[in-house]
Amino acid sequence: MLTAIFEQSSLFLQQLVNGITLGSIYALIAVGYTMVYGVIQLINFAHGEIYMLGAFLGFSLLSGFFGFGLPFGLAVAVSVVVCALAGVLLDIVAYRPLRRAPRLAALITAIGMSIFLQNLALLIWGGQIQSFPQHTIPPFLGEPALLLGDVVVSWLQVVILTTAIFLMLALHLIVHYSRIGRAMRAIAQDKTAASLMGVDVDRVVSYTFALGSGLGGAAGILVGLYYNAVYPTMGYFAGIKAFAAAVLGGIGSIPGAILGGGILGLAEVFGGGYISSSYSNGIAYAVMILVILVKPTGLFGRQQRDKA
Amino acid sequence: MHLDDRLFSDKKLYLPLLAAVLLLPWVPMGLAGPYVLRVATLTLVYMVLALGLNVVPGFTGLLDLGYVGFFGLGAYTAGLLTVHYQWSIWLVLPLAVMNGVFWGVLRGAPTLRLGDDYFAIVTFGFSELIILVIRNELWLTRGPMGVPGIARPDFCGAVLDQPWQAYYLILFFLLLVLWVVVRIRSSRLGRAWFAIREDEIAAECVGVNVANYKIIAFALSAAIGALAGAFYARWFRFVHPDMFKFWESILILCLIVFGGMGSISGALLGAFILIPLTEVLRIVLPDSLSNARYLLFGLLIVCMMRWRPAGLLPVEKE
Repeated sequence: MLTAIFEQSSLFLQQLVNGITLGSIYALIAVGYTMVYGVIQLINFAHGEIYMLGAFLGFSLLSGFFGFGLPFGLAVAVSVVVCALAGVLLDIVAYRPLRRAPRLAALITAIGMSIFLQNLALLIWGGQIQSFPQHTIPPFLGEPALLLGDVVVSWLQVVILTTAIFLMLALHLIVHYSRIGRAMRAIAQDKTAASLMGVDVDRVVSYTFALGSGLGGAAGILVGLYYNAVYPTMGYFAGIKAFAAAVLGGIGSIPGAILGGGILGLAEVFGGGYISSSYSNGIAYAVMILVILVKPTGLFGRQQRDKA
Repeated sequence: MHLDDRLFSDKKLYLPLLAAVLLLPWVPMGLAGPYVLRVATLTLVYMVLALGLNVVPGFTGLLDLGYVGFFGLGAYTAGLLTVHYQWSIWLVLPLAVMNGVFWGVLRGAPTLRLGDDYFAIVTFGFSELIILVIRNELWLTRGPMGVPGIARPDFCGAVLDQPWQAYYLILFFLLLVLWVVVRIRSSRLGRAWFAIREDEIAAECVGVNVANYKIIAFALSAAIGALAGAFYARWFRFVHPDMFKFWESILILCLIVFGGMGSISGALLGAFILIPLTEVLRIVLPDSLSNARYLLFGLLIVCMMRWRPAGLLPVEKE
């Protein structure tokens, strides 16, 4: 009797650990969606592809796909920086020319870029699932950091969680205590007024894309390591789940995206463990639809003003 | 006068076109014949889909990212009814269309108050859920095993087993759908949709019942998608969840973006150019590249939005 309860609770705790890990990754991606939406009211569908790019860059730099290999830390840093630049480039090439066009045009462009990037990755790296070569990953990551009865917390999970928390804190400091962060918040409130006050809107939007895409790329590498699998369509499902997280938290709100990511990660792991694993993707869709229909502002979202 | 208004009234326009599509199966093409006819049939299926999708983003201005859901719903409804009961296509097809309308209205009703991007997300999520259910409810749909051995279409008790017969059948459905959308476009209903597209609040203020007209658009669009699906299931004789992935929705969207959103002739032209092109690319490109041919569609969408957002055959601004 007692052992049964103990087994039950250790399964529960293990699921909790896995759920929090997954949730922190979703949160990292969701922040990218929510920041861009907050600043230019665009659902950047291609954000999932930036995350995929991060995973592939990490994989390529470690495994020597480009003809040279980098040490672990350097490879991660380079991938994150390249992802940030890719995000800025994406905005300049695809979205900036449409800033004054109808919103539908920008939305369709975002979908087009998402397909384009996904198939570009297919072309470069091929469609099969690739995994990181064993010798390129620091060996301690696979070992347990914490053992509580049957509950295992691996070093990789610890690294993912601390990285996520560290990056979120950094983001919080940037958004709330830096010049550029203040400009971002000003643009989110009223773009026209901000530009009249001398805020260089294009520059701030570029910074927003850089920050969001950098975090997305970091999430991509972490997930690539966590599941040890990298493939061109990985950005598609992760992107949708992260978007659902952003909607759940209230799109445009950074704390909302973090909370939403956490909830969605837990819901997916527990739903998959206790209800049905074949519908684990469905949970994200259902959450997304329900939130939009019942409370479109999400948990922390601001009321959007209707056009008068 | 806009091209769309001339589709059924200008003899110089429609007689040559009609003659061309009617005579196509009888043009001698040697060994390529059956293949060309297959691609032509597929193109007509996508023309029907493009016309159906066009009703929502083109006429009412709401972006639908889940149109493949109705295509799949129609295909599975028709396929399963045929396999289990061996009914005629003339009974199965209306049932599939009714099922499409039912889900179209059910999906549409809660979304009436949503703005453009949230509407797009709900349509996307809804169609993914439909496909997820199809993939997982093995007792009903056989899931990833697909439904093989669906009977061919029939007419007055005779089985239509020749490729040209299937071609004429979908041509008949295409002309029917085309006639419906062209007539509606210039009716009171069409004008109400355009008013909603241009400015929903202004439309409401002048007395357009926005909710009702939107629901009618959702129902019609879903009906056309399910019709195409029902024909497709009976023609292809096999349905599988992988045939109805998200990319199909985007492909259909690409057809109407290319031709011009809201433009009926544009939707037809988009399918006429892009569907044979995908088939040609599939053959011409080596295997490694042909998987990535959607790259071109992504690029095409981006470039159209950048330099020619109104499409090849734009709807004239009144």
